[in-house]
Amino acid sequence: MNNNTTDAQLRKISRKEMQIDFEGKLSFKERLRLKYFSWKFAGELVYKIFRFVLLIGISYIIIYPFLTKILNSFMSPEDLVDVTVKLIPRHPNIDQWKFIILENDYFLALINTALISLGCAFFQTLICAIIGYGFAKFKFKGRNLLFLFVIITMLIPHDTLLLAMFMKFRYFDIYGLFGLFGLEINLINTVWPLFFLSITGLAFKNGLYIFIFRQFYRGVPDELEEAAYIDGTGVFKTFFQIILPLSIPMMTTVFLFSFSWQWTDTFYTASPFFTTSDIHLLPNIVEMPQSLKMDFAATGLWESIVTNTCGMLVILPLFIIFLFAQRQFVEGIERSGIVG
Amino acid sequence: MNNTASVKVAKKKKPASLDAKKARAGWFFVLPFVIGFVILYIPMLISSIEFSFSKIHVLGKAGYALEFIGLENYRDALFSDAEFVRTLTESIQQLVLDVPAIVIFSLFMAIVLNQKMLGRAVFRAIFFIPVILATGLIDQIDQGNAAMDYMNSGGIDTGAGGAESEGLINTMDITNLLGNMVIGTELVEYVVGVVNNIFNIVNRSGVQMLIFLSGLQSISPAIYESCKMDGATGWETFWKITFPMISPMILVNTIYTVIDSFTSESNVVMRYINRVYNTGSLRPRELSSAMSWIYFLLVLALIGLVSLLVSAFVFYQRRD
Repeated sequence: MNNNTTDAQLRKISRKEMQIDFEGKLSFKERLRLKYFSWKFAGELVYKIFRFVLLIGISYIIIYPFLTKILNSFMSPEDLVDVTVKLIPRHPNIDQWKFIILENDYFLALINTALISLGCAFFQTLICAIIGYGFAKFKFKGRNLLFLFVIITMLIPHDTLLLAMFMKFRYFDIYGLFGLFGLEINLINTVWPLFFLSITGLAFKNGLYIFIFRQFYRGVPDELEEAAYIDGTGVFKTFFQIILPLSIPMMTTVFLFSFSWQWTDTFYTASPFFTTSDIHLLPNIVEMPQSLKMDFAATGLWESIVTNTCGMLVILPLFIIFLFAQRQFVEGIERSGIVG
Repeated sequence: MNNTASVKVAKKKKPASLDAKKARAGWFFVLPFVIGFVILYIPMLISSIEFSFSKIHVLGKAGYALEFIGLENYRDALFSDAEFVRTLTESIQQLVLDVPAIVIFSLFMAIVLNQKMLGRAVFRAIFFIPVILATGLIDQIDQGNAAMDYMNSGGIDTGAGGAESEGLINTMDITNLLGNMVIGTELVEYVVGVVNNIFNIVNRSGVQMLIFLSGLQSISPAIYESCKMDGATGWETFWKITFPMISPMILVNTIYTVIDSFTSESNVVMRYINRVYNTGSLRPRELSSAMSWIYFLLVLALIGLVSLLVSAFVFYQRRD
């Protein structure tokens, strides 16, 4: 009996009426009090403030070195001997920037490095995507063993192989095949070693990229390819026309990784692979320009400030690229769904 | 009888099944790696091992000849070289201290950066700056500057990192703060060490943060929702849901951190080996090969140990 009446009543009252009734019971002040003067709210507030302060603090730790380097690069020699100058230059000048750009052939180095980095990043991204897809979507004999080899290439640092790599490219040969014809091929001081390593997925951190792509493609539903196969599309056409466009966010991330790591790399683009500076690259610009050489009380400091300015010039283009690409970069890796 | 034979013949003539076709296609996809591995990597690997056991005679145009001298290089590296063993032990010690700090820090930061809040995009962009910018060349320049800073403390900061952390946080304060709580001196020392090293740790946890972020994204929001319904607190949700679900990532990240910190150019042992390679007097190249192999084997053992330890706690949602 009782139940029946309540049910009937409830049915009569519309949602809107219920709300009005509910709010009518509490005054505006009361509602404010309930919302903001509770322990839950206080706890959340404290947590939010704590989180914000922490993030600001760590951001400061990250940005501070770059900030000091940039501010330092505008200092004049007088500022260095002035003990009251700490962070902001008193006599700002742009000599460092000017002379490094003019005397160290900055733009030549920039173009060379950009070409090499673009080429490497392009090949590495494409090749690692292809290899990663092979590992993710096909079952063939020896797949696990082969993937173990990928892990091994990731594990053994290239420094360990430095000498062997040098010898390999100094006297380039494939199992004594060229030697039979009396050919002696010297690939040192060329970009060929980098090219060969890139197209075979053996260059710097390529194991990581293969791993990332493998995880990404494992998350792509099989039905997608099956639909394409049923429509009569071949395996390769399916990959290039359906899967590759699908993985553009991931590829952006890997491209950015390999581009920027190649950009600041000092392993493949320095001695012993580039012993002479026939190819002027960005690491080569890190040196004192003649016009900036001077001897005074703070020579050591002055030198490191000039070197820092060189470093800033090297990463400036990278930073600009990162500013534009960072959204895709972070989102790309998030969508990869890397799971064990 | 005859009938079955003809069926067999027919079967043989039938074009390869879809699975076989796909398997063949799989080989085509991984072919670049196979070719590179066979043609470039295996010979390099073998010759690197060979070098570490021999003496190189460069014969000008005709290439080079190897003279097998057994374990001489290894003996020299371990017993004759004054600094190698010390650098090695120090580096391994540092690695053992750094790895938990980096993994815990990056997990914490990934969880914070995964929450919705004001300015999340900006913070994310800032946190990934070190991954992109503070590698290779910049790292090298910083090391030069750090040495310089050490010589003339005070004056202008060159922004080399490490050096400025003393200015950021006063070590004595933390020692006092934690010293009063009864948590053991070792732990206090560890925390102080981590805090002093914070610049380094933040700089090295970029990729790990990304991996954790992607792992966190793959946890279904429905699980969190049902937890909230059942009245679990944030703390409980973390230990009962987030932590087990993210544990495979913890394994991956631990191993990645070990690999990353021992292959990075800023690693002390790597730098020492490079120095030997460039300036050593007696068989510098062969010696540096031997040293890198010793180091590699040690780190491999360490990785094995770590993955055994960590995988005991790893929870897999689905096994396939």
